Amino acid sequence: MSKFIWQHPEVPADETTVAWRSAGQLEDTPEFREWLDREFPQGAAEMADEGDMETSRRSFLKLMGASTALAGFGMAACRRPESYIVPYTKAPEWVIPGKATYYASAMPRANGATPLVVTTFEGRPTKLAPNNLHPDAAGTDAFAQASVLDLYSTSRSRKVLKSGTAVKRADLDVAIAALAADPSANIGFLFGADVSPTRARLAKQLATKFTNARFYQYEALTGESAKVLGDGAKLSVDFSKADRILSLDCDFAALDPQGPVTPFFERRKPEGKGYEAKPDPEKMNRLYVVEAAYSLTGGMADHRLRVSPSQVLIVAGEIARELGLPQAKGVNPATDGNQIKWIKPLVEDLKAHSGKSLVLAGSRQPAAVQHLALAINLALENFGEGKPLAVLQTEAQGLGDLAALKKDIDSQIVDTLLVLTPSNPVYDAPADLNFAASYAKLKTSIRLSDRTDATAYASTWHIPAAHYLESWSDARSSRGVYTVVQPMILPLYQDCVSELELLLALLSDTGKLINGEGAKGAPSPAYDAVRATFASIGEEGETAWKKLLRDGFYTGSPSPTIPASLAPTADATIAAANIEIGKAGKPTKDALEVIFATDASVYDGRWIDNPWLQEAPDPISKITWDNAALIAPKTAKELGIYDKIVDPEPVSSVLGVESAFGDVGPDNEGQNRKQHIIKISVNGQTVEFPVLLSFGQAENTIVIPVGYGQGYDKDDELKRGPVDDKHRVVGLVGVNRGFDVYPLRTSATPYFATGAKIVLTDKKYSVALTQEHSAMYGRALAREVSTIDTEDGKGDFADQLAMVKKQGNDAHAPPNVYQYLPKGSETWHPDKGQAIPHLSDTLHQWGMSIDLSSCMGCSACLVACQAENNIPIVGKEQVAKGREMHWIRMDRYYATQKDNDFDADNPAFVPQPVACLHCEAAPCETVCPVNATVHTEDGLNAMAYNRCIGTRYCANNCPYKVRRFNFFDYNKRNPLIPHNLNRGPFGVKAVGDPDHLQKNPNVTVRMRGVMEKCTYCVQRLKDAVIRQKGGQKQEALVAGKLSTEMEVTTATLRIPVDSVKTACQDACPASAITFGNRLDEEKSAHGRARNLERNYSLLNYIGTRPRTGYLARVKNPNPDMPDHKFIGKATIHMV
Amino acid sequence: MANIFPRWSNLLPIKIAVCALSVVAGLVFAFSYYATPKTLTVGYQPSQPIPFSHKIHVDQVGLDCRYCHSFVDVAGHSNVPTGSTCWNCHQHVQKESPKLAPLHKSMDPAYPGYDGKPIEWVRVHKAPDFVYFNHSAHVNRGISCQNCHGNVNTMEVVTQDQNMSMGWCLTCHRNPELNLRPLEEVYNFKYNAVDYLSKNPQSGVKTPEELGLKLKEQFKVKPKTTCATCHH
Repeated sequence: MSKFIWQHPEVPADETTVAWRSAGQLEDTPEFREWLDREFPQGAAEMADEGDMETSRRSFLKLMGASTALAGFGMAACRRPESYIVPYTKAPEWVIPGKATYYASAMPRANGATPLVVTTFEGRPTKLAPNNLHPDAAGTDAFAQASVLDLYSTSRSRKVLKSGTAVKRADLDVAIAALAADPSANIGFLFGADVSPTRARLAKQLATKFTNARFYQYEALTGESAKVLGDGAKLSVDFSKADRILSLDCDFAALDPQGPVTPFFERRKPEGKGYEAKPDPEKMNRLYVVEAAYSLTGGMADHRLRVSPSQVLIVAGEIARELGLPQAKGVNPATDGNQIKWIKPLVEDLKAHSGKSLVLAGSRQPAAVQHLALAINLALENFGEGKPLAVLQTEAQGLGDLAALKKDIDSQIVDTLLVLTPSNPVYDAPADLNFAASYAKLKTSIRLSDRTDATAYASTWHIPAAHYLESWSDARSSRGVYTVVQPMILPLYQDCVSELELLLALLSDTGKLINGEGAKGAPSPAYDAVRATFASIGEEGETAWKKLLRDGFYTGSPSPTIPASLAPTADATIAAANIEIGKAGKPTKDALEVIFATDASVYDGRWIDNPWLQEAPDPISKITWDNAALIAPKTAKELGIYDKIVDPEPVSSVLGVESAFGDVGPDNEGQNRKQHIIKISVNGQTVEFPVLLSFGQAENTIVIPVGYGQGYDKDDELKRGPVDDKHRVVGLVGVNRGFDVYPLRTSATPYFATGAKIVLTDKKYSVALTQEHSAMYGRALAREVSTIDTEDGKGDFADQLAMVKKQGNDAHAPPNVYQYLPKGSETWHPDKGQAIPHLSDTLHQWGMSIDLSSCMGCSACLVACQAENNIPIVGKEQVAKGREMHWIRMDRYYATQKDNDFDADNPAFVPQPVACLHCEAAPCETVCPVNATVHTEDGLNAMAYNRCIGTRYCANNCPYKVRRFNFFDYNKRNPLIPHNLNRGPFGVKAVGDPDHLQKNPNVTVRMRGVMEKCTYCVQRLKDAVIRQKGGQKQEALVAGKLSTEMEVTTATLRIPVDSVKTACQDACPASAITFGNRLDEEKSAHGRARNLERNYSLLNYIGTRPRTGYLARVKNPNPDMPDHKFIGKATIHMV
Repeated sequence: MANIFPRWSNLLPIKIAVCALSVVAGLVFAFSYYATPKTLTVGYQPSQPIPFSHKIHVDQVGLDCRYCHSFVDVAGHSNVPTGSTCWNCHQHVQKESPKLAPLHKSMDPAYPGYDGKPIEWVRVHKAPDFVYFNHSAHVNRGISCQNCHGNVNTMEVVTQDQNMSMGWCLTCHRNPELNLRPLEEVYNFKYNAVDYLSKNPQSGVKTPEELGLKLKEQFKVKPKTTCATCHH
């Protein structure tokens, strides 16, 4: 057979779609072309830096010689070392060695607890999954998935500190007992923003016991939404009932959750949940988003309006005015022509769906916007039974804010403070509060936290906190369902105390602090407290309690619904805010708006020491391990710094260092990527930040994610300081990470600040982006259609669906010859009857569908995969070299139309997760010289790690670039210690580090030199199949027959439809991933999905026949909107 | 001209060849003795903290395998009994036997040296870390303990019976009929296919081989031989 050479067709002359993933690609520089042509990113396969040189070829040969000589002596090592089997003396209930046990629990969070099912192996929690029985279950996000690693974090606090020095636990016990014995203490409690009924109950008791007690609540990024609705009230959102959704700068899908979000995504599928119906655009919801920079919610939008955050008030006011609301009087009318054109049809659409629409204001937007959104929702009659909105009254009432706390400390109303919030007020409080100075005035400050953060060192006492997987507690989920938090394990370190245990010690007569376990194996006092709470608000008795522990929740006593009403101060607040922003005016290039954005990796900074989150690329900017300021290309051009920002870095090919005479690096990418640093001045402060371009961002805004720059050491690239090795506030993961933006943030400008100026400096900072790694040229990979006919020849919805399979190159490709056709096939073997079906399993043939219509690109799957499959982290330097190990690559594409006359700078955003597609005709398998990657009978493309010799031919031949190579022993050598990876046997070993306890015992931990990639969670598949086949015996027993007399059918041996889930599918909050047995056909969701018209294969024309299919993204634009013609056309043709 | 090579050097090439051959033969012998799976593992018989006799417990007492290895048919790992499983009987039986001192130390609070720590049994059978072996997948589909572990019922001290190399696994995965039994007979160490057939006559089945083939067909046993079956 001659070689099949594919000629890429020319781009049609009338093609209007341009798609790109980076500035370099958009500009189509020759360097970018070179980058694309390389198999691995520049330098990924080479040893370049000075540390790497230590293992040069010569020293390798020396070592080889020595090891051959030693082999003779080493023979004795072939004898097996004696190993032991150590059974339990008394087996704990439910534990079967080697089998996972599952418990229902929850992760307490500010926006409502995330209900979880925790996988434990012999009592050791290893993996989190959503509790899908829970009425508020909505998958898990990356934070929840990564939180299991915090339990085993090497930088977790383990010792009690007094004024920053480790002391004995007994000293603390004395201090707590003294405090408990003093009912007249001027004591304050600073809680987080999560809601815990037990904590609220104990707070009431504390208020009785300590007559001067005061209670406060603080988290850095919770905003003012609660204040608008009333004390302790919160919105409860039911997305399944919302046909039209308007987000006013609210990232409800990812970082600013308002309610369980899965129903929203289910309504992004025109076939409905589970793909059971015919595609019907009427069933889809429609999302309008008003925001400054791309958020993941904005990426899902059908219509998106770019405005700076201050102008959101004007847009909200204009909408209120169109609806004829009196609140609009306080707001200046919109003057921007585009905004007016955009708002009118939007309001018509909302009005037409009154009672079934939803207007959400970002919870960090000023109170005025919240009031306006509330007024609009009231006018649209969206509140009430069977409607999308309700207001819940939670238990978190009567809590002061941080400003009130500061005032009370300064006036000595509070001289003893318990800081229980997960935020880090000494670091992240608004700069003008100067909270650290007030905090230092306290007589006694007690900080309970899992890290020794800045607040811990600033306190009199620091108590190491127990992880939520180690403590008894309870919480309210996002829609107010009572949810229990139960421990999986006693605290790993004996001094770790939970919040409730600390409060209970203060409430007890003796003041004795009991943590983890009571005397003689009695449960923690927190257990009794939670049980008492449940008995009072739920049901009494053993049965109800056991049911609560089994299910994880109790629906009987939800947070009560209260009527929604506009606060009397609303009008005044709106008017005052209007005057404020009127003064500042619209942002200009000389007075930019700075947005202190919530970070997708570290949130407010609390997860800075979590390596999974640090290494997961930011969903929008694709930066790892750092933060950077984002700026729109147009603004950069106006400021005259665009050329500098995209300017390739000269790097000498000989020396590998920057040099004016050096070669130009490939599009300023890979390990050589250094970004210019800008100085940003606002609110009288100046900070420095590396700058990146960001598409679709409002002009004259700078987005800076918060939470980084918490601590530095001597290895810092920019020698930032101060270096305080004695009081390290961050561990190896969080040290030298990014830049701190909190100094710019004041209490008047907690979300955004106006009037900022930026200056480009000469300094540069290396950043590790995964953006252009593993690029796949510009074929029609992510496909998109629109539900309306946009009069450009593509036809109506049905026509567009029919054309999904023919987009891009697939329009021109000849039919493929498939080599694995079954026996006797006409087209296959000349000698009919000789060909043996390759995929011979008649019980299971696995397959996956990824629905781009509901995938938002949030990276939850990526982190879940990391947790399930023991994927190591590699560190910033390795990521920069393109050696990241994530099995799922979250691509995200931008696309715009050349003829877009509404807003050409607002490209469409399409994310696309790509993992191994398990091609039936896999190109990787044919090139492996040792048969380490082969096909299984049930359709998996398998990797035998112990057979792999690391030629990397397979990765070279993979058209999808989904194979990952272990360039180093990332599991054995901590990649975060500088140069450690290159030291070989002399490096610091990570064996015995606590994070190894997290590893999944059913998945091999890979070593250096082997290739790995997505396995479709083969361990889960095997487990399900083995369990099913074991049922044969049960059937015989039940029937009372001998096994030889039983009929064994397919039903006995095939697993029930949709009964196994991969880790990514399980975690996905958008239910974008369906996985199943293809032989279940239409009975399984996957079977239905793959028969849809919008199902297509990636690079179908090369004939690999992938088992993972993609469903084209469907946009549901409003034909009356001015930009409707440009929606749903992101399909990527040739670049 | 004097001889450059003395007379004795005439035999040198032969001597060198003989030496080299014996070295090579020695290496081959050493390798096959020390390094092949058979010699590495078969017959491995470590002494255990308690000289537990399977012969007594299975043959004389008549315990089922699953009394102690209680999760063999539900989990991948066949568990070694907990201390309390032994203690169930041995708090009453053979109380004074000095051989049971480690058990008393682990379980008996009245015992002088009691520490409550588990007994450390020495592992006899071990699949490498990169192999995923599941006991329940085999015993629930008609493969007996005896097929891999040998006649444990006659062992005073447990010995490794089979070499458990990958080739050995594959011989059975390719031809499972040689080892398949009716599910009721999996834990029966006295099983004999001929006796079984005489007691339970099957239509069209005369020989043990035919029984194996019949069970394979009836149970739909299709063992997989691709890598991911055991390596993932």
